[in-house]
Amino acid sequence: MKYFGHLRGVKNRYRLIKSILIMKLILIFLAIFNLQALANVYSQQKVSLNLKSADFKKVITAIQKQTNYHFVFSERKIPPAKNISINVQNENVTSVLDQLLANTEFTYTQLDNNLIVITGKNDVVVNKVITGKVVDEKGIPLPGVSIKVKGTGTGTVSDINGGFSINVADNAVLVISFIGYDTQEISVAGKASINVTLVSSSKNLNEVVVTALGIKKEERKLGYSATTVGAEDFNKVKETNVASSLEGRVAGLQINGTNGGPGSSVRIMLRGVTSQSTGSSSPLFVINGVPMDNTQRGSSGEWGGADYGDGIANINPDDIESMTVLKGQSASALYGSRAANGVILITTKGGKKNSNFGVEYSMNYQMDKVRNDLDYQDIYGQGTLGPTGVQGVKPTDAASAMNDGSLAWGPKLDGSQVIQFDGKMYPYSAVPNNILSFYNTGHTFTNTVAFTGGGDKGSFRFSASDLNNAGVVPNSGMDRKSFNLNTTQSVTDKLDVNLVANYIVDNEKNRTSLSDGPGNPNNVLFLAPNEDQKILAPGYGPTGAETQFTNDNYVTNPYFAAYKFSSTTSRARLITSASAKYNFTTWAYGQVRLGYDIINDKRVDITPTGTGYNAAGNMNQSNGQITELNTDVLFGAKHDLIKDLLNLDLSVGGNIRKAGDEGTGVSGQNNFIIPYFYSLSNFSGRSGSQYFHSRQTNSAYYTADFSIKDYLVLSTTGRYDAYSTLPSNNRGIFSPSVSGSFIFSDLYHVNGLDFGKLRLSYAQTSGEPANPYTDAVYYGLNNSINGVPAASFSLNLPNLFLKPYTLTEIEVGTEMKFWGNRFGFDISYFARKTKNEITQAQLDVSSGYNSYYVGTGSTQNRGIEVELHGTPVKISDFSWTTSFNFTYVKNKILKTDVNNSIEDLGQHFRPFNGAHIAFIPGLPGPQIWASDYLRNSSGQIVYDSQGLPQAGPLQAMGSTVPKIYGGFNNELNYKGFNLSFLIDYRYGNKILSATQYYSIYRGLNQITLPGRETGVVGQGVTASGAPNTTNVPAQTYYQALARQVSGLDVLDGSFIKLRQVSFGYSIPKALLSATPFSAINVSLVGRNLWTIMKRSDNIDPESGFSPNVGYAGIEGTSIPAVRTYGFSVNFKFKN
Amino acid sequence: MKKRLIYSCLVLGATLFAGCTKNFDKINTDPNQTNAALINPNFFMSQAQIQFANAGYRQLLFQSCWIQGLASTEGYYTNGDKYVYGGSPQTYIPMVWQDCYGAGTLVYEMKNLIKGNAAYSNLDNCGTILMVMFQQQITDTYGDSPYSEAYQAKSQVYTPKFDKTQDIYTNMLSQLATATAALDATKQGPTSDLFYAGNVAQWKKLGYSLMLRLAMRLTKADAATAQKYAEMAYTGGAMASIADDAKVYCDNADNNPNSSANTFLNNVPDWQGVRWGNTLLSFMKANNDPRIPAVAEITIGNGLAANAAYVPGDNTASKQVGMPNGYDIGGPFDVSKAPGYPGATPANPAINGDGAAEQGLYSRPRFAVYLDRNRANILLTYGQTELLFAEAASRGWATGVAATHFANALAADMQELAELNSTPQAVVDPTAIATYVAAHPLVPATALQQINMEYYVETCTSFNFIEGWNNWKRSGYPALTPVVYPGQFTDGSIPRRVIYPANLSGANPSGLASAIADQGADKFETKVWWDK
Repeated sequence: MKYFGHLRGVKNRYRLIKSILIMKLILIFLAIFNLQALANVYSQQKVSLNLKSADFKKVITAIQKQTNYHFVFSERKIPPAKNISINVQNENVTSVLDQLLANTEFTYTQLDNNLIVITGKNDVVVNKVITGKVVDEKGIPLPGVSIKVKGTGTGTVSDINGGFSINVADNAVLVISFIGYDTQEISVAGKASINVTLVSSSKNLNEVVVTALGIKKEERKLGYSATTVGAEDFNKVKETNVASSLEGRVAGLQINGTNGGPGSSVRIMLRGVTSQSTGSSSPLFVINGVPMDNTQRGSSGEWGGADYGDGIANINPDDIESMTVLKGQSASALYGSRAANGVILITTKGGKKNSNFGVEYSMNYQMDKVRNDLDYQDIYGQGTLGPTGVQGVKPTDAASAMNDGSLAWGPKLDGSQVIQFDGKMYPYSAVPNNILSFYNTGHTFTNTVAFTGGGDKGSFRFSASDLNNAGVVPNSGMDRKSFNLNTTQSVTDKLDVNLVANYIVDNEKNRTSLSDGPGNPNNVLFLAPNEDQKILAPGYGPTGAETQFTNDNYVTNPYFAAYKFSSTTSRARLITSASAKYNFTTWAYGQVRLGYDIINDKRVDITPTGTGYNAAGNMNQSNGQITELNTDVLFGAKHDLIKDLLNLDLSVGGNIRKAGDEGTGVSGQNNFIIPYFYSLSNFSGRSGSQYFHSRQTNSAYYTADFSIKDYLVLSTTGRYDAYSTLPSNNRGIFSPSVSGSFIFSDLYHVNGLDFGKLRLSYAQTSGEPANPYTDAVYYGLNNSINGVPAASFSLNLPNLFLKPYTLTEIEVGTEMKFWGNRFGFDISYFARKTKNEITQAQLDVSSGYNSYYVGTGSTQNRGIEVELHGTPVKISDFSWTTSFNFTYVKNKILKTDVNNSIEDLGQHFRPFNGAHIAFIPGLPGPQIWASDYLRNSSGQIVYDSQGLPQAGPLQAMGSTVPKIYGGFNNELNYKGFNLSFLIDYRYGNKILSATQYYSIYRGLNQITLPGRETGVVGQGVTASGAPNTTNVPAQTYYQALARQVSGLDVLDGSFIKLRQVSFGYSIPKALLSATPFSAINVSLVGRNLWTIMKRSDNIDPESGFSPNVGYAGIEGTSIPAVRTYGFSVNFKFKN
Repeated sequence: MKKRLIYSCLVLGATLFAGCTKNFDKINTDPNQTNAALINPNFFMSQAQIQFANAGYRQLLFQSCWIQGLASTEGYYTNGDKYVYGGSPQTYIPMVWQDCYGAGTLVYEMKNLIKGNAAYSNLDNCGTILMVMFQQQITDTYGDSPYSEAYQAKSQVYTPKFDKTQDIYTNMLSQLATATAALDATKQGPTSDLFYAGNVAQWKKLGYSLMLRLAMRLTKADAATAQKYAEMAYTGGAMASIADDAKVYCDNADNNPNSSANTFLNNVPDWQGVRWGNTLLSFMKANNDPRIPAVAEITIGNGLAANAAYVPGDNTASKQVGMPNGYDIGGPFDVSKAPGYPGATPANPAINGDGAAEQGLYSRPRFAVYLDRNRANILLTYGQTELLFAEAASRGWATGVAATHFANALAADMQELAELNSTPQAVVDPTAIATYVAAHPLVPATALQQINMEYYVETCTSFNFIEGWNNWKRSGYPALTPVVYPGQFTDGSIPRRVIYPANLSGANPSGLASAIADQGADKFETKVWWDK
């Protein structure tokens, strides 16, 4: 640094030689020295003086003795005072000088190289031309910076290279200000040229955030709530789906993963269930200003299937610099319909101009260990009721062992030898760690290397990353390679171009089948206590056919499912964006941007020969392509309408979005000609399928911010969308937003309050149908039957009168910061409501259709978001920063279909005997709709003539989406050590648990213990009202209970979890001097380590098999939750 | 000025940008599907026919065992075998409803597309016949159901009213009379027809045979109407040979496999745990029915592995034994406790882990005949027609000579097995048929029993169990003893109805309520209108 300083100083010196003649001697000194680093660097030196009746020169000499300062002055130009008495202890030199020169005609200027120049205040007021350059901390020129002469109305702005020149009086002070940077005041006295380095506004106070369309704005002025999460929060502990890392970090944002293995989809909800869409609740993801695809590639339903991940799961966390969550509608209104669920902006890392070539390598290794949430009974073993008696009997032969399958209705475990399905004898005693020994320890090994660099005109960053994962389910895993290139280049002074390319190759092996379907290895979770999972291996017999262990052939042998079923998915994806920005003037620019996301997917699924439920085997292969092309133009201008009073920041633009997906599939069903040979050629007949969807949206928009003196800002945006998916008479909609912010702390100063803002916003966005082609009747051809053509049509009735729905939101909030940002909070209240929501209302097929599209839906969300942050401790080497966020959302389904009927979401999970999820008008959605016991009018349980409980009417049992959630994040730093941990919590949601059902039905659940040996007499009455006295064998009773009273499967989903811990150490630079590294960081990391509180027995409260809203809170037979441990190392090479 | 110009251009540009939507209609048109102008309405007929015909679990899980044609120890067959819920009853309960209304939707659309077009008059009338066939299965299964307002969601009728079974029958009969009479063999027939390849004369016979079946359902509820339409059917000209049977051959290569065969071939438990019911097989054995070796076999070899193998068995008539209903394996009603239990076949020591096959000596549907994915689904036959005419005549109605009809029916029912698939194994020896027919003349005193027991055998051996169940409800034959088992979803009696699909409580609550008010509680033992 010093080196550069000297160079620049020399240059300045030659430039100034011409002026020597007209300048006083002292000014030559000024010119010699670089003025870049100003006073504050050198004002630290302190002096102690005790002088009486000294003259000024003597004082200065005394100071020079005690410090490194040298004083420069002309003999005639020093204060004449001879009678100075001064007594200071350990005082800053500058403050001593301030005292000395107070009320004199003189002043001083502090220069580089410890020079202090003393001049007369009114010395030669000359008008001169000051030239200079404004750069940021990284040395990148800042154009458009305001340079004003303090106390006058004159000023200028910096040009494209950050340069400026201004005609000023010699003693003038320049006020240099720019959005997002601390304002500086610089005296020009004695200077001909100044270089200004603007420092980013102190963190959180004046941060610049990227808002919609990539427009940068000062966070302090925003009229809505936006939260940015930095790289450090998702880089250290890596999730295979980076979106999971946001959990607990942002008020209003709720994340729920899928227990489907590595790279599984996540369900993301911002401010509650936005609408009655049962599919994805995903916000729009925008990467470097361009929307990217986040299509869910396929998920499990109640009948099984695997989770094939979503679009965001492809992104390598190492490439992300930050993610900004735009929660409110006014924040995201500029994205139109796609922003109804909010927007998450991703900024990827880039290079820096004028930086040396840099290399960074990071390595992360993590292990996943299955957590055993099961708390089954281990008193009674495998068995079922025999012909007599109330207690079950052990298996007596291989067939009965198979028949008893996973039923634990046998007698007490006694260690005797009992026959199993394989005809061999095993001890009749509980097997320890049975389930955990089926699952492997998962491994994820991520290596990323990044190269950065930059010159005067441009910069680049290139990274290559490999993620290699072996899942906890045996024989499953994924490999993801990502390459990311980010370059910027100044073509001319006014034209900058930027190119970002992200290429991802993702291969996944054996995405695990989940839920209540066949081919699911997780059925290992339902073994009787004495059934050792090891004896199920290898899962197939000598012919290769499945070794079945129960008489339910849809319960596939876990080993056969893991090793013989095959599912391979591969994806190649290129996300690119190219933009060119032309600065017409310092205050106006035009930008053209093109974003293209193209995804090619291939998937091959094989149900092998010899599978229990499908001995003949099936095979499917599909290839698909998803594309998303966005072209947009944007013009921006920022200008004072009334000088120093009213500023307008205006952007106007337009976007054309073309999106499509298409694919073909070939499948062979029910008969490999040659068994065990898996090829599509090995079928006598194959069926093919194809799909093609395309859509286009044309949009135009503007945003205009009027700010009055920087503390009162009124913003308005508007967007007009025309959707191809809607009928021509109803194609377009305008969505406006207005927001205002008032920074009251700038107007009224309150002690301790650094910053205070009130904000208010109103916005309306619109939405379009989830699918194209919903406004016309279509007929499609089916496979012919013995040569006779056949056709059919969708039983989803189209609607020719659809119009876009609207979502209206009001948000009020305040943000305050105190005591040098040691404490602050941000509170928002929001109320949002949809109108004319296009829902697929259920019909009974007797009407001719299964559903119809109807624009009557209305959903309301109201809530409060609170973010507190602070630095409770900050002493020399130690600091503790903490933040806490809290969200309360109250959802209400206002209206469903025309009749406002209960909207059955169709999730009739097999075990629940009619219990399902529904949107119920007047209640928060999605509600669990299940049966309690049948009760009489006085509330007593009514048993049937056989003494068995019966199902009461279906009733609302609570929403599957939490009412309250948030996180508590802490970071402690001591010297090079860093400890951070995140606790998150969720309250007020219910789970519909298939694990609960199966564990009761199969006698595994502890609630089935009473009455095992004596039978059960249900507490209650018979139909006639008499007390129930019928004694029923436990198996009969509890199985009826499970089948009838689905309300028993409704569990409380609340939890508090220690979500993430990382403990890191940065090796001191001194130790690295002999190494090629400039920095090394080592961290131990852990995720999902400890469930501090939960209320759901036998399951992890976050369990789920699908990211869709309609399946929120439904769990069963998916991969158990895992704990993750690991370490990460980051090396930066010396330049 | 310059500024103003720039801004004007921007606003203008943005407006044009958003306004240029003239290609949107094209973008929002699915290139892989077609529209009313281009579709051939005939194609909906074939699709409706295969959807309706391919009954699979629709009839296997409930009715086949309720009438004790089949018996099973398997978990999800408990719904039929023991009236105890097993597997996914919520999926099985609406099967008839969904399949029949689903097929009806296709025909309704077809009829709408050709409405008023005289060139399609035969197709339209054939469509009416199909609609009646579908609706009859719905109303016979559930009772009151949407009919007059059904299929009209496109006209904003989203919650069709439930019509009473009686009204549905009245209307179906009159519709059928009109449509059947209007069929004109000189005009173009259906061109995408899986029943008769467009033969209008055969459609006409089907129309009258169906009319007869509808009429005879009403023998207890409304004998006058029954007689009127039975006689009309006789006069009109019903099916005259097995060539007129309404049936649909499946096509596995084109992904339309026979769903019953597919079920057995795909699921070992269905194959090794589903047996002919003892009620059926005892009756056939008592009569020395020559169909026994064509339809039944026992596993060759011992143990579970042999029992699960997809290979032909031993069809020697004397070895065949039906399995009694109501038994399980290893539970309170272990099948080894069944009267006349033939014993298990022991585990095969050569196969590691093989177990004894408890049902190994009970007869199963013949592999070669029933486990063919291209097999026909037989829907309505000449034999059934002759039986119903025989019954009508026995009741003194003008439908010919009862004994002749009965003899024709016996022969037809036996010959008909060869229609199931192309295997010669299902062909019953003509001499044996003649001998049997001669030995089983219709005796007036036992006419109803003889006729309806044969109806029972015919519907079971052609896997047409829903029809067999409906005729049992109507005629009381065979006389069945309900099984006893804990946890039954009826009061211990054999179900006479299927409860309404659960989704109706949300999708059409008012319709559902009116049906319950009219017909009684939504229970399996509640009788539909004609079931007296």
